[in-house]
Amino acid sequence: MTPKNYLYEMIRSELTWAVGDEHVQTNDADKLGHSIDYYWVPECWHDRGEKPTPPDFVVHPGTTKEVAEILKIANTHKIPVIPWGGGSGSQGGALPIYGGIVLDMKRMNKVLEIDPVSMTVTAEVGINTQHLEWEVEKAGYSTMHFPASIACATLGGFIAHRGTGVLSTKYGKIEDMIMSLEVVTPTGEIINTLPVPRHASGPALTELYLGSEGTLGVVTRAVMKIHPIPASRKFHAFLFETMHDAMTAGSKIMTSRLRPCVIRLYDETETAKLVKRVLGIDRKGAYLVFGFDGPEKIVDLELEEACAICAKTASEDLGTEAGQTWWDHRYKFFYPPYMFHMPQAFGTLDTVATFSNIEKVYWAMKNVVQENFPQATFIGHFSHWYDWGCMLYARFIIDEPPKDPSEAIALYNRIWDMAIRAAIREGGVINEHHGVGLKLGRIMRDLYGPAFGVLESIKKTLDPNNIMNPGKMGFPGKGI
Amino acid sequence: MHIEKNLDVINACRFCFMCRHLDPVGNVTFREADTPRGRALICDRIRMDAANLSNADFIDTLYRSALSAANRFHCVSSYDETGLVLAARKDIVEAGLAPVAVAALAKTLEKAAFSVKGKGRALYFGPTPELYKGCATLTGGDPGKALAVLGFEAASKKVFARFKKAVAASGCKTLVVAEPSAFEFLHGNVPGVKVVHCAEVLKDQGVKKARARKAVYLESDFLKNYCGNPSAARDLLAQAGYTLLPFGTNTEESYAVGEGAVVYDTLYPELAERLCQRVYALAEGLAKTRFITASQTVKDTLKKYNPAFDVITLEEAVSLSQA
Repeated sequence: MTPKNYLYEMIRSELTWAVGDEHVQTNDADKLGHSIDYYWVPECWHDRGEKPTPPDFVVHPGTTKEVAEILKIANTHKIPVIPWGGGSGSQGGALPIYGGIVLDMKRMNKVLEIDPVSMTVTAEVGINTQHLEWEVEKAGYSTMHFPASIACATLGGFIAHRGTGVLSTKYGKIEDMIMSLEVVTPTGEIINTLPVPRHASGPALTELYLGSEGTLGVVTRAVMKIHPIPASRKFHAFLFETMHDAMTAGSKIMTSRLRPCVIRLYDETETAKLVKRVLGIDRKGAYLVFGFDGPEKIVDLELEEACAICAKTASEDLGTEAGQTWWDHRYKFFYPPYMFHMPQAFGTLDTVATFSNIEKVYWAMKNVVQENFPQATFIGHFSHWYDWGCMLYARFIIDEPPKDPSEAIALYNRIWDMAIRAAIREGGVINEHHGVGLKLGRIMRDLYGPAFGVLESIKKTLDPNNIMNPGKMGFPGKGI
Repeated sequence: MHIEKNLDVINACRFCFMCRHLDPVGNVTFREADTPRGRALICDRIRMDAANLSNADFIDTLYRSALSAANRFHCVSSYDETGLVLAARKDIVEAGLAPVAVAALAKTLEKAAFSVKGKGRALYFGPTPELYKGCATLTGGDPGKALAVLGFEAASKKVFARFKKAVAASGCKTLVVAEPSAFEFLHGNVPGVKVVHCAEVLKDQGVKKARARKAVYLESDFLKNYCGNPSAARDLLAQAGYTLLPFGTNTEESYAVGEGAVVYDTLYPELAERLCQRVYALAEGLAKTRFITASQTVKDTLKKYNPAFDVITLEEAVSLSQA
């Protein structure tokens, strides 16, 4: 849309009428900030002097009713609406690829209620998750949601992308933490899902919106579980000669039905590179760390059991300190200069699979990357462990990608295409907690098979004008 | 351009979101531009194409920063996004692109004149000379910090030279400074003179312990985030009988209502008021609690938008305990 044309001015007037002048931005500074998220492609374009597509309007609604008004305006004019939380998604899910309205939700940031009886918190979803955690902690509880992006992202962002935190093994991913949602449908109706997540009153509507990435409506409020702050939380680390030995020990901890709050296993390459650089633990092998929390007696007992499992095959017991060090520095990996950065090309090949398949997935991806892209380094760690399997946080890094952005992006996408399809062939699901966005939309049909048609039918029914985040999650865009 | 000397910061911050939750302005405007990432992206665009330096939206965003440095204090690598913004402001000023309000304010600040009254073992620069027996007093305006923050480096140097001349004329070898912004600016920069913050001096003088009272100490951007978070102010208040209550939900955010930008309320009163409203809202559960700040500017700003808000300076807190 071109500024100073009739339609542009009319829409701007409608939007300012709905939310107030000061909450509709059209200035270059805000448009720049919203044209780039944490996806590598817009970063690459910016780095090479290109200008990713900005939105036409950045709108900050203050209430659910205002969200509904905005969606009605967008429907009338059939213009895209792209919900934006913290903008820290790595999949391009919040990028305004066709311009339109970026619906920046950060103004809806209030904690509305903390229910100490049911142990829930009700909040507007534009709240920064670190702010949410601080408020809940002040009341004497915790969300137990500690993702690396806790300070970057909003609650709505996690809901949109099925995000997760470090303690997911015990406390679950965001979809396990959410009780119910308030949603504005694409046509502007305000609905609430059922107040409890366990029921037999038809399909779970809450689940429909968890991970819908702003394509099926705008989530405006959420009720989330909270937890007592545990009396004790302890960690322990071991070194194994091979990643396979460590994986066997880690899966044994889980299938023994111990309840660690976290397990993380770094492959030999990542142990040698990142664990050494960030944590200062300089060893050859695979570094495995785990933790338990809760009443101290139970923590000690479970920790002892887990240590006994690892001690059988570990090459070195690194002790509690090496485990605590990891916990204390768990976010450090994501700060510059520890995080990968331009001009490097890098991607997180986040995949989840059962214990039977996860190592096959790892090797399939690693082999395909190493054999086809000798310029790329493949590293990985396994985080977010469940009763049945775990997540592979594999990454590829190219230190010197082509200077031409078009060539660099083509190479980048080729690695994704090959690695992901290799993972799917081995039973992997792409992905566990980063979402689909723009980056992985083209894979959705391969991943789902005919079931993707069901998702498409839901999208068409709920969003007949395709205004909600078009072109994301494999749903149709608006052409190029 | 000055920003090019901060290329490491541009490269580190332009795609990094890790401290965005601590930007005081971003937390009240909710605008993506009002974050370290937003500002670093702008600086990067300017670095790539100098024509962007004249973009009025970019200039306004760079002046709207409250420069709390809470982000730098938080960053595990201490990337100096605050320094990047200050460098960008210098580029803006040197290109003759300072906004009208900024240029007008700079003209006023340039007129600062300094004079010394009395003689003593040390020279005191602040609003409460009666607390410092046997000290000479230095009066005048801002010693050049405000001009430096606005990007007027040459003018700042001129004012600072006049300030140093006044200090030299006093013959004192110790300078006691009350306002944290001035302390940060002067500390280590006045040749042959030891610059100390008033909290250190008052603590060493010893304060009579009054009856036990509770108060909130609003941390100073300059003392905490710029000067390494010395404990003197908190120690002094403890000595004076104050039990300090936690405030807000965390210890990382800046509640100093624009202190880091020195003249924030003058340039952006509507944003300063929003920063104050955030403090008032967080203070709602602390009825009848006194707030103490090391900065006269912070006190004045908080009082301006809510005269009933019970806030005093560190020196006033000491005075009250002595009474």
